[in-house]
Amino acid sequence: MIVAERLTKRYGTTLAVDNISLAVKRGEIFGFIGPNGAGKTTTIRMLAGVLRPTEGSVLIDGIPMATAPEDAKRVIGFIPDRPFLYEKLTGREFMRFIAELYGIGEEIAREKGDALLIQFSLYDWADHLIESYSHGMKQRLVIASALLHAPRVIIVDEPMVGLDPAGIRMVKDLLRALALSGTTIFMSTHTLEIAQDLCDRIGIIHRGRLVALGTTGDLRGTARLREGDLEEVFLRLTGTEAP
Amino acid sequence: MREGRPAQALPLRRDGGAMDDLLVLLSPRLLSFKNGGVSRSAGNRRVRAALFVAVGLAFWIGAFFLFSRVLNYFQGIEELGDILARKLLSMVLLTFFSLLIFSSIVASLSKLYLSRDLLLVHSLPVTPTKIFLARWLESTVDSSWMVLIFSLPVFLSYGIVYRAGPLFYVTAGLAFLPLCLIASAVSALAVVVLAVLLPAGRIRTVFVFLGLLLVVSLLFVFRLMRPERLVNPDNFANLLMYFREMEAPGSPLLPTTWAYDSLTAALSGLGGETVFHLGIAWSCALALTFIVAWVADAYYFAGYTKAQTSAEKLFPPRGSGPWRKRPFPRLLSGPAWAFTVKEFRTFFRDQTQWPQLFLIAALIVIYLYNFSVLPLGQSKIRAIFLQNIFSFLNMGLATFVLTAIAARFVYPAVSFEGDAFWIVRAAPLSIRTFLWVKFGVYYFPLLLLAEILIVASNLLLRVTPFMMGLSVITVFLMVPGVVALGVGLGAAYPDFRSENPAQSVTSFGGLLFMLTAIGFIAAVIVLEAGPVYRLFMADFTGRSLTALEWLWLVVSFLLVLVTCVLAVVVPMRLGERSLRGDGRD
Repeated sequence: MIVAERLTKRYGTTLAVDNISLAVKRGEIFGFIGPNGAGKTTTIRMLAGVLRPTEGSVLIDGIPMATAPEDAKRVIGFIPDRPFLYEKLTGREFMRFIAELYGIGEEIAREKGDALLIQFSLYDWADHLIESYSHGMKQRLVIASALLHAPRVIIVDEPMVGLDPAGIRMVKDLLRALALSGTTIFMSTHTLEIAQDLCDRIGIIHRGRLVALGTTGDLRGTARLREGDLEEVFLRLTGTEAP
Repeated sequence: MREGRPAQALPLRRDGGAMDDLLVLLSPRLLSFKNGGVSRSAGNRRVRAALFVAVGLAFWIGAFFLFSRVLNYFQGIEELGDILARKLLSMVLLTFFSLLIFSSIVASLSKLYLSRDLLLVHSLPVTPTKIFLARWLESTVDSSWMVLIFSLPVFLSYGIVYRAGPLFYVTAGLAFLPLCLIASAVSALAVVVLAVLLPAGRIRTVFVFLGLLLVVSLLFVFRLMRPERLVNPDNFANLLMYFREMEAPGSPLLPTTWAYDSLTAALSGLGGETVFHLGIAWSCALALTFIVAWVADAYYFAGYTKAQTSAEKLFPPRGSGPWRKRPFPRLLSGPAWAFTVKEFRTFFRDQTQWPQLFLIAALIVIYLYNFSVLPLGQSKIRAIFLQNIFSFLNMGLATFVLTAIAARFVYPAVSFEGDAFWIVRAAPLSIRTFLWVKFGVYYFPLLLLAEILIVASNLLLRVTPFMMGLSVITVFLMVPGVVALGVGLGAAYPDFRSENPAQSVTSFGGLLFMLTAIGFIAAVIVLEAGPVYRLFMADFTGRSLTALEWLWLVVSFLLVLVTCVLAVVVPMRLGERSLRGDGRD
């Protein structure tokens, strides 16, 4: 569903992402972890088509991002790490804006939009300006709007930031349910418990390179650890172990 | 991995019509504007709008009367009057076009590459060309509306003074629109092409610099042309040469020439010629629209991607050096010193500030140059009298220049903390100390600047020692007031979320700062004017002051002192109280 081939991004003389290749299957939850500045957000933005790679290619559901970006983006629901929302729009107006851009019919957009607003506990606030929302509410609205067009692929950068425990539980359940129904999820996170709990496979990026890929068990093997949780594996593979 | 059935995608429209998508892309802006009335800051917005309308209307009416008066005066000069009026029109059009280019560069750069919602819209299934076109339309409107509104009194005064028919007014509208489109298209073309060519992260700095360079060069050219000579009969010695210079047409390749030709043809009632020149302007505007769309299709997304990259270092990395010893440890606490150092470092490392410093330097040169060319010797009024009146007015003018500089640097100083303001809240430093650090950082350079302005211009005016002393002391007393008003009101109306805090002077608080500072300057000047005039006249006529005049003098100067102290204390307290009470994140 997601295929990245030799993905590379240079910022001037800095190599932010170095020759990353990976494939994520349909219905899979793929976790993408790495230390700060490892190249996670850059990779995610290239996969979502908002950043053009210096080298390499991205295929989303068989659609090449380089030559048919609009078709590829139609399949994706993208949730960035620091999402922007138009503060002077109401939640409902923002959902409608997204629906119109994805070409969703008015009737379906209204029904699906209301259902998502209810699901994300935003219905009572739907006609309030976004400027009056709390950080968590804004995050929930971004996730709701990304699901509006029933994307086949969800690319999400730090989905739990700003959410309360109930919100985190809700999003975790939602991602599981979406994956069960065949949606592919590519997720970056710093919360290793969530990655371990939720993801089928995990990729670890360090200094722009994909240093390990597989299930938690596979990663343990790569790190030459007989036992230990993802945290220990991560610290070993990224060389950031405490002395 | 789950092997469930694939998610059922909603029936999506494959590709929206270009106009539909453009309208949808513009809808957040339109809806935000509509929703402004129900926003939590709606009350503030209404007051701000009323203030804007009042100031704008005053300026509009003033411009109308000024132009009407000048044109009426020109009409009174036989033969030469019409030529002068036409020359003025061509100069005005050139000024408008330069302003349009400058504001278009800034607006299109911001809309196309720097807006915070670009990540969102580029993740949506819309072509970059459609995003570009929607943004370009927005930037065209944003950069043109104000110039358009303030061009109306000029055209109206020409129409009324020259008793033009409806053709002129229709032509004025039809000639100005392509001027806006051409300026916006040329700017967008330059921005799109240079965004691909320029080093990443330097795009904004380079464009701001280029834009300001354009304005500064125009100011210099305009100033060095010495337009005051045009109305001085002494300079009409070689009339033929003067006529020739005045009647020289502009370049036929300049859009302002097409606008000028169509307007003058319409003033003369020549319909055919008007349509011909309008045709040239509109065909160029439409052709440029297609060219800009074509260039954007090829290069916009590449430039956008490049603009996302982090700024490359302008200087090689260097160590932060040893800890600097804190001076005046009794006056400055550790955190206060840390903030002071931070303030200087962030100011001088922010390259967007540098071009502004060049602009200030240019304005100062022009300011002093104006004094050097004042025709004091030609006046019938005794030179010494004029010199001292100018010196007195100069105090007001210099502090007004200072206010304009403070509006750009001091007023946004608190807002510049932006998302990092939590550090101020978390630091072991009181809000009061934080504000006084801000005050101190800007006070000393601005005091130096104001005193240099006042002393240099007084030396050029060759004023009496008394006026020199009075000016230096008055400015010394006024600068703290202007700086405190900037810091205090900037703290009372902070905007920590602004993409560009430097523009916050156009906000409600910014306008309030400008009006209060001007009121403060006017109060001091008015308080000093009466007694100083008496003193000057007494000295001039060789008599001594009466007891009542002495009392007036002392009371006035005491009131000046009180006003200056209040201008420091009140806004600083207001800002402190506001920031302390503002617990929002």
